[in-house]
Amino acid sequence: MIEMLKVSNLTKRFGGIIAVNDVSFEIKKGEIVGLIGPNGAGKTTLVNLISGFYSPDRGKIEFNGKNITKMRMDERAKLGIARTFQNPRVIPNMTAHMNVLYAILGSEHGKELTMTEAGAEAIYYLDLFGLLKKRDVLAGDLAIYELRLLELARALALRPKLLLVDEAMAGLNPAEAEAVSKLINRIRNEFDLTIMWIEHVLKVIMRSAERVLVMHYGRLIADGKPEEVVKKPEVIEAYIGEEEV
Amino acid sequence: MPKIEPRRGKIVIHLLGRKYEWTVEPRYWRNPMIGLALWLTLPLLIYATATSVFHYHPIALLSTLIFANLLIMMAVPFNLQVIGTGRLSFGPHFFLAVGGYTAALLSRDYGVSPLLTLPAAFFMGAIIALAISPITIISRGVYYVLITMLLPFILGEITYWRSDIFGAETGIPNVELLFHTTGNVTLDVLIFVYVSLAIALVFLFFVDRTLRSRYGLMMGVINEDEDVALSYGINVRWIKIVTFTLTSGAMAISGWFLAHYQGSFSGPVWLMPSFLIMVLLTATLAGKGAIYGVVVSAYIVATLREITRVSLGEFSVVVLFLILLTLLYFLREGFWGLYRKRRYREYEPSIRVRRKT
Ligand SMILES: Nc1ncnc2c1ncn2[C@@H]1O[C@H](COP(=O)(O)OP(=O)(O)OP(=O)(O)O)[C@@H](O)[C@H]1O
Ligand SMILES: [Mg+2]
Repeated sequence: MIEMLKVSNLTKRFGGIIAVNDVSFEIKKGEIVGLIGPNGAGKTTLVNLISGFYSPDRGKIEFNGKNITKMRMDERAKLGIARTFQNPRVIPNMTAHMNVLYAILGSEHGKELTMTEAGAEAIYYLDLFGLLKKRDVLAGDLAIYELRLLELARALALRPKLLLVDEAMAGLNPAEAEAVSKLINRIRNEFDLTIMWIEHVLKVIMRSAERVLVMHYGRLIADGKPEEVVKKPEVIEAYIGEEEV
Repeated sequence: MPKIEPRRGKIVIHLLGRKYEWTVEPRYWRNPMIGLALWLTLPLLIYATATSVFHYHPIALLSTLIFANLLIMMAVPFNLQVIGTGRLSFGPHFFLAVGGYTAALLSRDYGVSPLLTLPAAFFMGAIIALAISPITIISRGVYYVLITMLLPFILGEITYWRSDIFGAETGIPNVELLFHTTGNVTLDVLIFVYVSLAIALVFLFFVDRTLRSRYGLMMGVINEDEDVALSYGINVRWIKIVTFTLTSGAMAISGWFLAHYQGSFSGPVWLMPSFLIMVLLTATLAGKGAIYGVVVSAYIVATLREITRVSLGEFSVVVLFLILLTLLYFLREGFWGLYRKRRYREYEPSIRVRRKT
């Protein structure tokens, strides 16, 4: 397998804080990689760097062998990098259907679609995430669980190659989290996706991810199989004081 | 005392123990042809009945229509600009003045015909807009407001500083009129009403088509959330720059019209905040991102302005703004909002999909 994403010595500072500190890792095509770490570890910042939201102070990001470090966010999206937002950023005064439809029409592959085709495709993604009944509900009126699903549906509708999921589980009850977890696995298989999946808590990601990266204070402190990673003293140390791992 | 209850889609009026319901969202309005026909016949109707029915000089009424159409010519591109840049500019009248001066100077000094000053005014507005368009990317919020507010202010100063060229308040005289006058002044004004109406219609048509196109949808996303737009792969910068440039060029056409309608152009009159506020109110009263609402609100703003001007003289501005502010208070989402609220989905591109089971 070839590596899809290669991050080398990535560093991002905000004033005195080094949010991401000399981070290097690779993700292979088809992998589901979990990224965990306590609050403020730099996970979201890393997503923002990969998706092009921020530009790094140092380091290099390669996507399918291409150096994308200096590329704009929309150009990276066109290459096939999609993301979800930790705090769902759907468009509140559009319906769920419109949110997905606009994503399709704005995206690269949407250029070839007519409005009707794009509308039908949007329905397909809503259905996939169990949101068909909510299609005409304004996104601002959806529950948090549905918002997370809508974020995923919208990101998937861009037909990405690499999907960056920033905390799909936060605020969900165990049954909902289980459902989301199953969905993420399912879409990886059906859509031939590579997924980097960020979660605050390790437990939920253990079952799904084949590989886990652990961040702490901006540094990458572990990279390996979930069951090996949890045994590492650094990881246990990082999570001391946290209620659950 | 009448009791007025604004409700969704209708207004209920209790008067002298009776209840009247006025549906603000009549079904028959949904046929745009009826509205259009009404709009097109209104000037003729006023031309014919002004003296006999209103006991009012027809020219005053017709000029009010021209002012309303001018507000449409400004507010329609303005609304598109707000959507496509995701920012509220306070300098639309700057581009009106740019267009006006371009047309007036070319006409007076070089004898260029109105047909050629039209593209010149458009390009002048567009080029200046293109040159300053990076502000739509770099600056946000108050900074953007300040920068766009400074533009008309600076131009106003320049017209005094180089009054040898711009003529300060007197403006630039001897600008060729749009057409050979007929000898009947009222008829001339009527023709100008139709010219302004035609321009307003063209603007409405273009903006409507743009908003319904794929670019319109992309603009919608930019307006809602720029970061989300970027995450879709939408080239936000490009769309903002193009929108800002073209809509500013369109606003310059209003100046072109004024110069060739009045036979002169004086910037300071239009660079005053009171005109800007009327444009902003027209756009706001219409409803966020609404373009057909602009037609209604422009005619209301222009009519109220004329009524207060005649009855109250210098005090009119204050009263006018109080009336408009009251209207805004009751119609938070503008005239179009009344309609949209209940049927918001109709104004999204409608798609019917049947699911195969
Ligand atoms: N735009 C910003 N400006 C300043 N500081 C920032 C910014 N974004 C993040 N930070 C800081 O960088 C550090 C890492 O934040 P980040 O959001 O990446 O953490 P995280 O791992 O996603 O945390 P959480 O689990 O709470 O989502 C924090 O100390 C945060 O305060
Ligand atoms: Mg985070």
